[in-house]
Amino acid sequence: MQLTYTPEQEAFRADVRAWMQANVPREPLATLECREGYDQHVAWERTLASDNWGMVTWPEAYGGRGLDLIQWLIFEEEYFRANAPNRANQNGIFLLGPTIMEYGTEEQKQRFLKPMAKGEVIWAQAWSEPGAGSDLAAISSRGVRDGDHYVLTGQKTWSSRAAFADWGFGIFRTEPNSKRHKGLSFILFDLNTPGITRRPIRQLHGEAGFAELFFDDVRVPVENRLAGEGEGWNVAMATAGFERGLMLRSPGRFQATAKQLIDLYRKHESHASPGAREAVIQAWGAAQAYAYNTYAVAAKIIAGGKIGAEASLNKIFWSELDRTMHRTAMQLLGAQAELKRFADGTLNHWLEGYIFSLSGPIYAGSNEIQRNIIAERLLGLPRLGAG
Amino acid sequence: MDFSFSEDQRSLVQGARAYFSGRYGPEVLRRLDLDGLCNPEIWKGLTEMGLTGLLVPSEQGGMGMGLVEGALIAAECGRVALAEPLVDTALIAVPWLISRGDTEALAKIAAGEKRVAISHVINPWLNDGDGTPLESIDPLRHLTTVEDAENDPFLLDLGALMSAAQLIGVGDAMLSQAVEYAKIRTQFGQPIGAFQAIKHQLANCVGAIEFAKPVVWRAAQAMQDALPLAPVHVSHAKFAATDAATLTAETAIQVHGAMGYTYEVDLHFWMKRCWALAGAWGDRAFHLRRIDHAVLGGEGNKWPLAIGPEHTFS
Repeated sequence: MQLTYTPEQEAFRADVRAWMQANVPREPLATLECREGYDQHVAWERTLASDNWGMVTWPEAYGGRGLDLIQWLIFEEEYFRANAPNRANQNGIFLLGPTIMEYGTEEQKQRFLKPMAKGEVIWAQAWSEPGAGSDLAAISSRGVRDGDHYVLTGQKTWSSRAAFADWGFGIFRTEPNSKRHKGLSFILFDLNTPGITRRPIRQLHGEAGFAELFFDDVRVPVENRLAGEGEGWNVAMATAGFERGLMLRSPGRFQATAKQLIDLYRKHESHASPGAREAVIQAWGAAQAYAYNTYAVAAKIIAGGKIGAEASLNKIFWSELDRTMHRTAMQLLGAQAELKRFADGTLNHWLEGYIFSLSGPIYAGSNEIQRNIIAERLLGLPRLGAG
Repeated sequence: MDFSFSEDQRSLVQGARAYFSGRYGPEVLRRLDLDGLCNPEIWKGLTEMGLTGLLVPSEQGGMGMGLVEGALIAAECGRVALAEPLVDTALIAVPWLISRGDTEALAKIAAGEKRVAISHVINPWLNDGDGTPLESIDPLRHLTTVEDAENDPFLLDLGALMSAAQLIGVGDAMLSQAVEYAKIRTQFGQPIGAFQAIKHQLANCVGAIEFAKPVVWRAAQAMQDALPLAPVHVSHAKFAATDAATLTAETAIQVHGAMGYTYEVDLHFWMKRCWALAGAWGDRAFHLRRIDHAVLGGEGNKWPLAIGPEHTFS
């Protein structure tokens, strides 16, 4: 165990810090979930990419910097220290990208990774269907083979980023009459292909960050399939592992929130409850614990290990920590918590953050599903009805 | 930067775990409880394994290891609810004596000829003394009163760190007992572990324990490196490990149902150790106050903690 950085790692941190100081927008961007904010965030993706900061762990050939996971963590820490914008392309760089790296052909890597790293193509994910949410294996959208194309029909929903994104990825039933996890294929598609209709879904805060997608005989070339026909479930689970596990929510995000919460507490100390004080202290501790754990996972992967069902532990931990921190902030704000903007005109980002934090335990596989996965795969408890 | 254990550290743990699990199962704990005695053969065995001298320098016949290895072994002691006060002598008293330059007793400790326990004012008794007995709910802790307790902060941190590490092992053990029970106990035609009401409670325990572990290892490394903020990391470790083990104890008895309330089921040995260690060497409130001081202390902060994403290891 060596819990200090090498001089090279410290120098890398200084590079990232200097770049962030020079480039992070001074004013907060509009929300990613409206057209104006989306465009601003895409522009930020391109600024990052202009100096190859799009995805630092990818090989240089695909637009990255070929760095290791420790450097990625340092990058992320500095990213959140600088309060840089959310990543418009998180579905691409954190989820699909690593999946293509693992399952894609060389041709697919060349074709998809570089535009992804460069922020030229923004990705949406399209997994859930009206009848297949937590029970994802119940999906019924079909892909029927017709020569060198699949013809997609069906409906996807809660498709993150799909209101504005360029491309999407999802799983489709390519083997007629197949059941559950079998007969599914992982397919990438241009969201502007004829036959795709997007219907943005207005969320409880009024903006439309996700959308429904309707597929009406949509022709997609076979070379857009990732991995073999019928192997879609395993590929999707790998993607889900990246989502829940390491990449989607790096610790810096929560350490930054904890720090802001501590600052907020100092401002409101005079009327704060003892419970809120304890929650603030615990927020620091939990965010640090998440960071230590992530460094330990990174060390394991660097040594050749893999992250499996433990990813579900991470997902529960960060999503519930985020909700707790924002709830505490709302309590500290008291009467002001309901204001979208404070009397001085500044945005109440805690309110926005609290509303968003309520989605964390639901998206990327609900926390109930994660607890089932932990119980069944880490603890070896039986499935209901199997005994 | 490498948050992982070395090959040597991993094999140390594997060796200790194999040794303990082969010899100190619940039947041994029951016998010791009924006899009310320590079995000298057990101490002899621990000595032969080199564990009494784990942290004793090689010049005094020990293995000369550090506090990270000490914490790893403390966790294994917790895992088997070891009755012998190995942690008190070998993992708390030894490094404290070394820190004071008091090396006289070390060779004898390593050789298994001497046991030393040091008392701190925060818990003014000894687990393994010769004063007036005090009865702990944990029948395997032989507490006695002391005349003079120490008031040294380093001693307190050592005790808190090693208690946190033991609580990790205690928590792991209670969790696996509850899981094994949930697999074999059937109701409504199912093993009760198939029901989400059970699964989700046990999954919560996994989360609490797994996220407490790196906090404990980080604290051990901070103490080993004598970082100025090591006391804060120790408090964080004790706090996290106490909460994780307490949650697991309450969940484990609930999963066992009425069986968990019996002497017949082994769980109570670990649960009682959890209760004892939760309050020992600084209780939850004590350690929360120390973290509070570091996080919110403001001016004149004894432990000026840097906070933020860039300060994971500051």
